Amino acid sequence: MNYSVAVFASVALLLLLAMGWLALSGVRRRPHFARNECPELECLHISHLRQIKQALANTDFMYLKDQGYPSLAKRIRKERRRIAFSYLACLRAEFENLLSLARMIAVMSPNVAVAQEVQGLRLNLEFMYRYYLIYFRLVSGVAPLEAIGELGNLVSGLTIRMETAMSELGERAVLGIEILPHNGGGLDAGG
Amino acid sequence: MWAASFVVQLALCGILIIFGHFRRLPFFTAYVCLNLFQALFLYLIYQYYGGYSQVAFLAGWWSEAITLLARLFATVEILRLVLISYRGIWGLAWRLLAVTSVVTLICVTVASWGDARQALMRADRGYHLIFTAALISCLALIRYYFIRVDNAYKGLLIGFCFYSCIKILLNTVLYTFLYQQHSPYASVWQVLALSPYLIVLIFWGAVLLHPLPSMQAQQAVLPASVYGRISPQINLQLQAINKQLMNFWKIEGPQP
Repeated sequence: MNYSVAVFASVALLLLLAMGWLALSGVRRRPHFARNECPELECLHISHLRQIKQALANTDFMYLKDQGYPSLAKRIRKERRRIAFSYLACLRAEFENLLSLARMIAVMSPNVAVAQEVQGLRLNLEFMYRYYLIYFRLVSGVAPLEAIGELGNLVSGLTIRMETAMSELGERAVLGIEILPHNGGGLDAGG
Repeated sequence: MWAASFVVQLALCGILIIFGHFRRLPFFTAYVCLNLFQALFLYLIYQYYGGYSQVAFLAGWWSEAITLLARLFATVEILRLVLISYRGIWGLAWRLLAVTSVVTLICVTVASWGDARQALMRADRGYHLIFTAALISCLALIRYYFIRVDNAYKGLLIGFCFYSCIKILLNTVLYTFLYQQHSPYASVWQVLALSPYLIVLIFWGAVLLHPLPSMQAQQAVLPASVYGRISPQINLQLQAINKQLMNFWKIEGPQP
């Protein structure tokens, strides 16, 4: 009896919290793309991938250490870690922009395939899980900084594909994006 | 409390009719009217047969079943109004509602299996749980796709959801800790169940004092073939990213 009561009461409270969150959380902004504007132009960090990889390379760091500048090497390591965090955050933003574009296409389509959408959601969750794994390993200092560059390569590839996809949408997509409200979405949008 | 809820329901009916919302929300209007008639009907039954008679028991539960069915139709009606401009997402939402309802029904049946004396209370609780889970899934879907929900519809859906959550809590906690100790269960129940309902009714009344949004044309401006071509491409790319991320830790890190 007590077990059942605890389960049902907890579920009810969780549902109440979820409802509160859905109703009251801040406006979730839809990333909007202006006419003839490609997603990657909003955030140019992928185009700086080469420089980022250079900054994260281990050679400079090793050189300074060998030359007897441990304090400088330490400072540089700290700086590089900061760069890695900023870069990771930006990659995530770009990834989310691309995903949002995929959702917008689904919203504007008369038919939506359940399998495709479920797969998209699952992949998104996987990405988030791995992103946070990398993030916390960076925080704890055990993450390989070169790997950030690899992550950048992946998103860069996706961006190029998305650019091609966007050009396929043509004028109809542009029209659709203009029709859809730009003042954000979600349940708070009406407020 | 009962009289207050009756008056507020009457006022809500008036708002729905005077503002012409009943044309856009026929099922919701029917739901509010049914609740009003249920209150009146039960009042007469209780006066004539007594509150603890078998007739009152049957009348109470049967009338409750009818209003719960009406509530379901009213909710689907509002969700349809929210998603009418998004045919693809509406199709997705329908499936989500069905799947969530079936899954929750199975869970509720397993968790509630046992004492036959509590069957009605558990059925009521199960209904509210299924209803809330399906509704919240649908609201999450709407949020996931950045779909704009007008304040009026949002208010109505939140009201339904809030009241169902409270009913689950009451059916679970109050029944367990008050009913078994032979406390003044009925009177406490009346106050605790009617108070949130009264709040929801007042909230709905305030929301419906404003005009409902005008109906929008279909916003799916893309041909179906575009989605069919692009969506798998995007998913393939996402899959490739995730596969690469899985190999993330195989890359050798810098020496400390």
